[in-house]
Amino acid sequence: MAQNAVTRREVFTGAAAAALAVAWPHAKARAQGFLANLAPEEPVEKSLQRLFGSRPIKDGSQVITLDLPLIAEDGGNVAVSVEVKSPMTPQSYVKTIYVLSDKNPRPLSAKFNLMPACGQAYVAANLRLADTGDVRAVAEMQDGALLMVKRSVRVVVPGCAA
Amino acid sequence: MSVIGEVRVRVPGGIARGSVARARTLIIHPNERVERKDGKSVDKNYRFVNRVVVSYLGRDIAEFDTSTSIGENPSFGFAFRATESGTLKVTAFDTHGGRFEGAAEVKLA
Repeated sequence: MAQNAVTRREVFTGAAAAALAVAWPHAKARAQGFLANLAPEEPVEKSLQRLFGSRPIKDGSQVITLDLPLIAEDGGNVAVSVEVKSPMTPQSYVKTIYVLSDKNPRPLSAKFNLMPACGQAYVAANLRLADTGDVRAVAEMQDGALLMVKRSVRVVVPGCAA
Repeated sequence: MSVIGEVRVRVPGGIARGSVARARTLIIHPNERVERKDGKSVDKNYRFVNRVVVSYLGRDIAEFDTSTSIGENPSFGFAFRATESGTLKVTAFDTHGGRFEGAAEVKLA
């Protein structure tokens, strides 16, 4: 009798675990939009520190072209493009381009991971900008070197970005 | 939005073999922004595109981690080295488990 009960419990825990395993990935995928899964609200200096720690960030104005309008009429839709003058070979290429918006509550807007097959380190996107301020682009090379440029954008109607 | 998740990919025509071309993609998606109430963010499951994967000839060439700071109907530009005629595919994932695909045929001159 006692042995029977144990077996039954085992069956139940097994079934529960199986059900959880089936339900979990789905539940996780559906819950990604909660604040806890978003980047934290922080000033841009803190974002840079969180992303790059104490690694030195060099001035990239010689190699990075950050294109943005001087005045953005609609902060909800601001075209940004970043081009880094760099070879894109397996030995030397731009691994990641980060776009950060200083005045947004969550400054990290997008992170573009590239491969040598891209041929050119170029990305573009439509940003939401909360307020007039700087937009930064940080390029991370495959060897870990960091280069940064920033440009100021005047936002007429805020995009209430987050 | 009736066509949520439609992914359009645009590539230039007549690309020379081995040259670098630029493509654009447009994802029809509300890309919700974080709502604020009394100066604080409201916690709920916002629906926005958080990952975009670009593949060319079946191989992933770029991956973007995106956020609510991208505007409604996210649009991205990127480059690729056109080595062969074939498919350039863009797959977008959103925070509600949505997976959306769009593709364009790359034709070499």
